[in-house]
Amino acid sequence: MTPPTQDTAVAGKSLSRKAIDRFLKNKMAVIGMVVVVLYALVAILAPVLPLYGYEEQVLDHQYLPPSLTQTGGELLLAKKTSEFESLARSQNRPLSAEELAQLKALKHTIANDPKHQRRYLLGTDYLGRDMLSRIIYGGQISMVLGLVGALTSILIGLLVGSIAGYFGGRLDAFLMRSVDILYSLPYMLLVIIFMAVFGKNILNLVFALAGVSWLTEARVVRGLVMSLKNSEFIEAARSIGASPFRILFRHILPNALNVVIVFTTLRIPTFILMEAFLSFLGLGVSAPMASWGSLIQDAVGGMTLYPWRLMFPALAMVIFLFSMNFFGDGLREAFDPHSEKSI
Amino acid sequence: MTEETILEVRDLCTHFRTDEGLVKAVDGVSFTLNDGETLGIVGESGSGKSVTNLSILRLLPQPPAIHSGGQILYRGRNILNMNESELRDIRGNKISMIFQDPMTSLNPYMRITHQIEETLMLHQGLPQKQAAEKAVELLAQVGIPDPRVRARQYPHQFSGGMRQRVMIAMALSCRPDILIADEPTTALDVTIQAQILDLIRELTRELGTSVILITHDLGVVAGICDNVAVMYAGRIVEYGPVEEIFARPQHPYTQGLLRSVPRLDLEPGEGRLYSIPGAPPSLVDLPEGCYFQPRCEHALPVCSRRYPPEFKTLGRRSACWLHHPEAERG
Amino acid sequence: MIRCNVLAYVLRRIVGMVPTLFIIVTLSFFIIRLAPGSPFSSERNLPPSVIANLEKKVHLDEPLPLQYLRYLGDVLRGDLGYSTKHVDFTINEFIARALPVSMTLGALALVLALSVGITVGVVSALKRNSLMDHSLMALAILGISVPMFVIGPLLQLLFSVHLGWLPTAGWLSSRAGGLTLILPVLTLAVTDFAYIARLTRTSVLEVLRSDYIRTARAKGLSQRAIIWKHTLRGAMLPVVSFLGPAFANIVTGSVVVESIFDIPGMGRFFVNSALNRDYFMIMATVIVYAVILVIANLIADLVYAALDPRVVYE
Repeated sequence: MTPPTQDTAVAGKSLSRKAIDRFLKNKMAVIGMVVVVLYALVAILAPVLPLYGYEEQVLDHQYLPPSLTQTGGELLLAKKTSEFESLARSQNRPLSAEELAQLKALKHTIANDPKHQRRYLLGTDYLGRDMLSRIIYGGQISMVLGLVGALTSILIGLLVGSIAGYFGGRLDAFLMRSVDILYSLPYMLLVIIFMAVFGKNILNLVFALAGVSWLTEARVVRGLVMSLKNSEFIEAARSIGASPFRILFRHILPNALNVVIVFTTLRIPTFILMEAFLSFLGLGVSAPMASWGSLIQDAVGGMTLYPWRLMFPALAMVIFLFSMNFFGDGLREAFDPHSEKSI
Repeated sequence: MTEETILEVRDLCTHFRTDEGLVKAVDGVSFTLNDGETLGIVGESGSGKSVTNLSILRLLPQPPAIHSGGQILYRGRNILNMNESELRDIRGNKISMIFQDPMTSLNPYMRITHQIEETLMLHQGLPQKQAAEKAVELLAQVGIPDPRVRARQYPHQFSGGMRQRVMIAMALSCRPDILIADEPTTALDVTIQAQILDLIRELTRELGTSVILITHDLGVVAGICDNVAVMYAGRIVEYGPVEEIFARPQHPYTQGLLRSVPRLDLEPGEGRLYSIPGAPPSLVDLPEGCYFQPRCEHALPVCSRRYPPEFKTLGRRSACWLHHPEAERG
Repeated sequence: MIRCNVLAYVLRRIVGMVPTLFIIVTLSFFIIRLAPGSPFSSERNLPPSVIANLEKKVHLDEPLPLQYLRYLGDVLRGDLGYSTKHVDFTINEFIARALPVSMTLGALALVLALSVGITVGVVSALKRNSLMDHSLMALAILGISVPMFVIGPLLQLLFSVHLGWLPTAGWLSSRAGGLTLILPVLTLAVTDFAYIARLTRTSVLEVLRSDYIRTARAKGLSQRAIIWKHTLRGAMLPVVSFLGPAFANIVTGSVVVESIFDIPGMGRFFVNSALNRDYFMIMATVIVYAVILVIANLIADLVYAALDPRVVYE
């Protein structure tokens, strides 16, 4: 309500110029950010990109290898031909008339059926679905889960941490003791049990992951709030009679925003990894939806025969996480220069 | 100044490369230290007094620090040109240092005795057992009661004053030629400060050690120093014998400092006799001309154009245009 | 006197574990039981009467609170019950076989992660901002970014399928013997290695900036003496604090690694039992894991106290 304190709140929101400069000087962090932005763009634009549906099955096109030049039909024909040829060779005979006829018939259907004109840049899976599309849509789900998970846990962490830090005393002691106990739980195991018995769907997944991951956030926020609580401008707000909740939500939390943003960025990879971990165990998102983790799980069984099914989703995920980690590290160093550098 | 000169600093420049630009923390500092002399270096924080002295033992991390010019001659040998092993032979042996914060300057994970033994074993080649004996002796010398027991303890079991005594014992263990004391009493209780200063004075006099005492407390300088150098924004503005300078300060900055005694160490707003208006300049972006000119009551037109040369007046050096013969006329 | 303090401290900590373990048992018990379905429903279409009989045998017909109390009593007596999947086979026997396997795997991975991680971190810190530092740290970020379930299969593809140097899967008892250990241990160690390397680098740099290192340099000590005698001990403290989470990573990771490499340890059975609703088996594995983690944390705290003279046993 009073202009000066409003100003401090606004000042807390705007990212400081210096930190941005420091960030831009960190080449790896900037490259990381660019890659992350590209991924996000592709994920957002997925519906308007020229992609096949991620759940569209062309059963004839099972396990086709990636190809930039050949259509699905051509690959299918080549596959069939080499199958017949190797069979004939093993029996020491030329291709039989029947086989030749089959190949001819196949050639004919391929030429006439438009579905055989499909092209699979990254190959297909066991139901003849386009891997490129599945990786992009899977990435969409992984990224959204990562973001939603990080946001949910930061919200819970903000709530618990700020209440504990601001009010202190017994409430603080009780909340922090609970956090300590929860910390020592093998929580991924509890998540596994939860997902196994309550069934796998995305809501359960977010609920389970965020439910166990707000502990660190709560501690960080509590520390921040405690240090801000005693600063001069909060004293000022208190002296003009602002209520505790008003002080907390209008003055303290906006000033903690930088740290919270950086922390959320740093946490996104963790959530993507946890989701992938659960999907890999068969406890994450369920078919026909995909996430990077479930794509990798699908591929592991046949990886010696169809390595592209493992390589491409793994690569997509690793590049994203790698960039995200560099990006997050850069942000943290920029906003907290004492952590790495000093005169 | 009839004694032999053991340390001569000539035109020392120590700069730091930072994101904000080149910080000229020390820029053309010269002074000499004679055998048995106690030299005080005073100035506000950020005036370059600590950097000057860390430069003497080359203790600043490089990068970001750069020794971009000058010489530091210890008995005629330039420390800035020494290799790593020559340097180690001087550190803690010929020239030793005690630091401002005794709470953090001792290794918290090491017993006191080991921290003292280390120096003795390294520089005097004592076997561990003898070094341990010597360590107990040294602790007794610096006035630590029950030294045999205390030697086996860790730093956190000592009070601030006691830790500074340990630092002194360590620094003097090899009977160095020079002791550099970087604000040795700033972090201590007022009641302890005098004891520590007395101890330093007494022991160095006994050993014939020369002392460079860095402080922002003019009272301390008056008490134990022979000469004093006043630093401002990385340069010495006035340098000479303590009695002369305290009796007749020539540089306006020194005059301002002396006028604000004895309450210089207070935070702003706590009420004091006098304070120099304004704040020291940023070392990245120094003003044209004399660095002190924006805060100076006597500033002349020339002051904002050129940095003043040093004038020899009344037995000291002083860098101020007011000493120029034509200053009267402006 | 000090030894006496340590002992009292350990005892107090062990007593302090009780509430944690109690919460874990209670939480997992109710998570499992509140979900609909029965452990026998997935069994090959058993007639309802048989299911009822089976349920009766393991007291599943009783009201939930009673079952809970009965279970607590059993656990306190050290009886973890029967697997509902294999009714003729006690869980205690099963754990006696699977636990040593998982412990071997986990211990080797932790030792590997610690030794390599600390070395890499220290080298990186000492060669700070060099090409070596940047490449090692990029490697560490890669280690954090590549999940175990990607590394495992890739290592299998490379070393078993293409190069044929190492067995794809199996455990010590199989023909390949000790060679079976290499890939799973490597896979399991990667994440912790990466975290420890980064943590060590940061903490060594921080110690190197501290006042007492400046004192050590002012004494004329050599770089080597400064690193070995003055830096490492203090720099190891954050790494020791990380041991608890590191251990948790290994436990969680073993779930995946054991299934990738077909290792007969606790982790693989844990997932299977969770999927099969093998009530007592899930509970048992969770309890065992929790006890191990709590003990690991205690050991980490003791190591910390041994390194830092300022810690008081209170």
